[in-house]
Amino acid sequence: MSGRLRRGLSGWLINVRIALTALRVNLTRSVLTTLGVMIGVLAVILAVAVGNGAKVSVMESINALGSNMAIVVPQPDRRGGQRTGERGRLTERDARAIERLVPGVRAIAPQLRSSVQLTVPGGRASSSAIGVTPDYGRVAGVDVDIGRFVSDLDERTAARVAVLGPSVAAKLFGDFDPVGQSVRVNRVPFEVVGVLQSKGSSFGNDNDDLLLVPLSTARQRLASATTPQGPDDLQLLFVGVEDGVDLRQAKRDMTRVLRDRNNVRRGETSPFTISTTEEFMEESNTVTGVFQGVLVAIASISLLVGGIGIMNIMLVSVTERTREIGLRMALGARRRDIRNQFLVEAAVLCVIGGAIGLALAVGAAAVFESVADFPAPIGPGTAVGAILFSALIGLLFGTYPAIRASRLSPIEALRSE
Amino acid sequence: MTPLLEARELRKEYALGGEVVRAVDGVDLDIAHGEFVAIMGASGSGKSTFMNMIGALDVPTAGTLRIDGTDIGALSGDELAAIRNRKIGFVFQQFNLLPRTTALDNVAVPLIYAGVDAAERRARAARRLGAMGLADRMDHTPAKLSGGQQQRVAIARALVTEPLLLLADEPTGALDTATSEDIMGVFQRLNGEGITVVVVTHEPDIAAYAARRVLFRDGRVIEDAPVRERRAA
Repeated sequence: MSGRLRRGLSGWLINVRIALTALRVNLTRSVLTTLGVMIGVLAVILAVAVGNGAKVSVMESINALGSNMAIVVPQPDRRGGQRTGERGRLTERDARAIERLVPGVRAIAPQLRSSVQLTVPGGRASSSAIGVTPDYGRVAGVDVDIGRFVSDLDERTAARVAVLGPSVAAKLFGDFDPVGQSVRVNRVPFEVVGVLQSKGSSFGNDNDDLLLVPLSTARQRLASATTPQGPDDLQLLFVGVEDGVDLRQAKRDMTRVLRDRNNVRRGETSPFTISTTEEFMEESNTVTGVFQGVLVAIASISLLVGGIGIMNIMLVSVTERTREIGLRMALGARRRDIRNQFLVEAAVLCVIGGAIGLALAVGAAAVFESVADFPAPIGPGTAVGAILFSALIGLLFGTYPAIRASRLSPIEALRSE
Repeated sequence: MTPLLEARELRKEYALGGEVVRAVDGVDLDIAHGEFVAIMGASGSGKSTFMNMIGALDVPTAGTLRIDGTDIGALSGDELAAIRNRKIGFVFQQFNLLPRTTALDNVAVPLIYAGVDAAERRARAARRLGAMGLADRMDHTPAKLSGGQQQRVAIARALVTEPLLLLADEPTGALDTATSEDIMGVFQRLNGEGITVVVVTHEPDIAAYAARRVLFRDGRVIEDAPVRERRAA
């Protein structure tokens, strides 16, 4: 370390020592003042943490869908233009065409979904049944924990078999092994052939509260008012895309194929909507970003108030210690020495408050996580950032009082009582 | 040899309520290295304003004042601060020690602004306190020291940067007679070791410890003479 740097550093250290002495002299006042910054930092960190948690949750639920995937729904695409009265259309034949014609498609998972009542001897539950093909597991990234998945044979024969989500299995069968048991789905008896691995929950939404049945079975047995008009209409289609394939290009290809099949002319609205996991990510990142920004902005107001408190108390401190300032000037302190002394004092006050605020935030986030089942991660970046930001608040709001102190006339200051 | 202090036609004017007050109104005065001078005068005589200028706390309105050959009228705030730090040691009536700060740390304060590192600050401050007979009081805060001891700490602080001039403003104003004599004895001893001492006082008894007496009235020097019956502590 060069001598100049060392001197500079020891100058700041001296100021920290002076500041700590001064803050101890008015301990109660210092604690009360720093409370404002403490609460401000606590609020801001929690806002950041909750925002991060939201991002993590959204990512998790998107990843739970399957990583590289497009979702096609039979709804008129409203993003393209004005709303039309036309009804959406999506058929199993459309799905096959996508599988055949679009490059990079790994597998498709056409689906029919309906709400169902489940009954077993001694128990009942409502859940949603998804009619799926055997490829569903590959596309959506789910697998069985015990038993087996829906098979080709099940699909061809419209077998009355069901694979239960873990929540449904627990609700109906408790600790018993449900494989081989019978469950009535809307009064139709089904055989349980497997139980899915858990996919947890996201945003308080249970990803395990469902059961899977063969698509053909769903079409024959679980047809309800929600079922679309045509004999091979779908409610939902997952298209799994190979890793490394450009999802935007795949989406363009799918759109072209489906528009051709539906004879949609240029300028007309498509009777289907395609979204990709990539788009979900982008959209949800935007949304959670705004959400986090708003939270942080609101929390920052309390930090601002804390900063004003610091400024206020520093002005009082300068007034009270005018004589000390005069003395220091007489002993050779330059204006910048006085200014730095009070800047450091304000920064030290804020950093102490910020550190306590950070500690409280870490505690609060832990409580939040365990009570509300919502992640609120506070990374090392956030922690360091909070401390640095506290120091910055101190410097910012300490500037005016510090400059005022440094501009005092040494004679006047010495004469003050 | 050039004098330590050299005032020529020195003036200081204040605007006070629309009126111009001539606090120092044309003073010519030299103080040589090694002198012991008492500056006397009633309040309003201009002695305090003069003291502020020779202490580099204030600059003249007109005329020149050289401190160790440097015209202070031409200096910036930082340069004045450097002169105060290196060339002048202040002793005040109310001691002006920092509360809740040990004697050692109090004495070391000027060295902070001189850019001296921590270890040397402590060593030099300890040496000065030892020379003031306070070796066993270094860790005491001012509240635990008597008035005389506090003033000795203040003198140690004034001397720690090894200045050319010890400038004392009513140094015995807050002390009893015996302690006052003691402190003036310290000044005489230090002067004997070679440092220039200027004491500003309105008490003739205190001025009698000096070798030369300068009397101010209405902003001018009206008398400047050696002290005839000099007291020794």
